[in-house]
Amino acid sequence: MSVINKTALAGLAAVSLAGTAHAAPDPWADVPKAQRPAPGTPNLSGVWAMPARVRALKTLDGKAPPLLPAARAEYAKRQAALKADPKTDPSSNCWMQGVPRLVYAPYPVLIAQEKDRVNLVYETNHTFRIIGLKQPLPKEGPDLDPLWLGYSSGHWDGKTLVIDTIGLNDKTWLDYSGLPHGEKLKVQERYTLKTPDRIEGVVTITDPDTFSRPWSTAFTLVKKPGYELKESVCVRDHRM
Amino acid sequence: MRRSPAIGAIWAVTAVAGLAAAGAATAQNPAARPAAQSSGAQNPESRDSLGAGADRQLARRKSWEPTPPPSDPRDFTGIWEVPSPKIDLKNDQGKDPPFTPDEAKSTQRMIDAEKAGNVITDASTQCFPHGVPRLTFAPYPIRFVHAPGKILMLHEVAHNVRIVYLNRKAPPKDTPMSFLGYSTGRWEGDTLVVETTHLNGETRLDMHTSHGPRLKVTERFTKQKTPQGFTDLVDMITVDDPDHFTQPFTVNRHFAYRGDLEAETGAAGVTEYSCEENNRNVPDAAGVVTTEVKAASR
Repeated sequence: MSVINKTALAGLAAVSLAGTAHAAPDPWADVPKAQRPAPGTPNLSGVWAMPARVRALKTLDGKAPPLLPAARAEYAKRQAALKADPKTDPSSNCWMQGVPRLVYAPYPVLIAQEKDRVNLVYETNHTFRIIGLKQPLPKEGPDLDPLWLGYSSGHWDGKTLVIDTIGLNDKTWLDYSGLPHGEKLKVQERYTLKTPDRIEGVVTITDPDTFSRPWSTAFTLVKKPGYELKESVCVRDHRM
Repeated sequence: MRRSPAIGAIWAVTAVAGLAAAGAATAQNPAARPAAQSSGAQNPESRDSLGAGADRQLARRKSWEPTPPPSDPRDFTGIWEVPSPKIDLKNDQGKDPPFTPDEAKSTQRMIDAEKAGNVITDASTQCFPHGVPRLTFAPYPIRFVHAPGKILMLHEVAHNVRIVYLNRKAPPKDTPMSFLGYSTGRWEGDTLVVETTHLNGETRLDMHTSHGPRLKVTERFTKQKTPQGFTDLVDMITVDDPDHFTQPFTVNRHFAYRGDLEAETGAAGVTEYSCEENNRNVPDAAGVVTTEVKAASR
C-alpha cells in the first residue's frame, strides 16, 4: 500500500469513525510538541515488568560473576547471614535499593520518555530516576558525594537507550542474593526495544575493587498495557 | 508477595494495614516539623520574602530563570519550586479556612503544642508520602513531566510521586485509599484541572490541620507571567472535606520556574532525597521524638 493510500484511508477512517477510537492513535497526542522524542526514537513509554524474578545476577553466558577473593568472601558471608536472618538485607531498612538492583525489583516500572530526558518511575517504594540525555556525567572523584541511585547520564546509541551511572554508595547490594560492590562501581544499562512490548536489556558492571573484570548480565522487560502504578510505601518503625 | 521479608519493616501497597484505626493518634503526638521540611528553617533565602526586600527576590528569580520555560501555555515541562514557602491553609487575605468546631479545636491544640516546644510528627516526618495538598506546599523542586495519557509530578522531597491520569473521567471503581490518592486531570483552556480523591486520613493538610477520607482536592494549574516577566505556575487549591470544614475553601500557591537546575548533572536537577536513610522524626512509645534529623543536601 502506498503512502498516499494510507493517508487517504486514514482520512476516510477519521470521517467514518468520528467520535470513536482511532485504530492507531498517535501515542504522543497529549504530550506538548516540544517535549516529544524525535521521530524514529523507539517508544519505551509505558509500564513494564520483568517476566520472572531475578535473585542472583549471572553473566551473559550464565556463569557466576568474576568476584575477587575478598569480595567472594564477603558474598559468602552475606549469603549465610541472609539465610539465617532475611532482615540482614539492607532493603529491610527501606533504603533505596541502588542501581542496578532497583532495575531487578519484582515490581513494575513506568518509563516516561521526553525529548531531553527519560524518567524511570519504579513502583518499589515510589522511587524514581530522572535520566538527562543532554547532561554529561559529573566529574568523578572524592568530591562526588555517593548516592543510593548515583549520578546518571543517558544517550541513544542507535535504537538502544544507554544509561551510565557512577557515584553509587556501597551500602546497597547488586542483587537480592547479596552480591557486593564498592564505590568505584560503574553501571551501564542498555535498553533495546525488540518488539513494541518487549525490551531486551543488558547491564554492564565495572568495579575493579570487587570484580576481576567488567561483566555483563541480561534482563527482559515486558509491557503491562493499561497497568497503573500502585502507591507502594516502605517505612520502618513507624508510629501514627 | 508485597510484604517485605524483613521483620520491622512495613510495606504498604496503596493502604497501610493497621493504620486506618490509628489515624486519630496523630493529633495526640505533638510533633515536629523536621528541619528539612519546615517552612524555610533550612533555607535562609526562603525567609527573605518578608524581610530582605524585593531586590533580593528579584535577583533570585533571575538566577532561577536564566532562560524561560517552554512558551506553550499547556506545556508545564520543567522544574518548579515555591519561592516563599508557606505551609499553612490561610487564603491570600490571611484568613483561616472554615473549620468545623472540632477541627478548629484540633488544629489549635497542634499549634499550641508546637508553640510549647513540642516536636510535631506526621506521616511525612516518618517517610510516608506527604498527602495532598501538604506535598504541594513543600519547599522543594518538583519536576513536571508530560507523558502519553498522564502528567507526572516528581517531587524532590522524600521522592514523592504523583501521577495525574488524563484519560479517565473518574478513578477506577476499586481504587484503594492511599497517601497521595488518585488524581485525574483535564484541560480547561490553558488550565490543568486536577481532582484528587481516595486520600487516606493519615496525612495532614498542613502541619496542624487534619482531614478525613472524604477529602476531595481540586487543583487548577495555570502558567502565568509575573509583572517582572518571570514565569509562575499558579496552583489554585480547593479543599473540600465536609467532616473537617463547613464549606470548601481555596488557597493559592505560586511556583517559580527553576530553569537553572536544568544544567545540573546526575539527576537532571532533582537531587536525591532519601527520607528513609536518616531524615526521619519518629516518636517512641511515649510520644517522644528521638530520631535525629539530618539536613537535606540542598
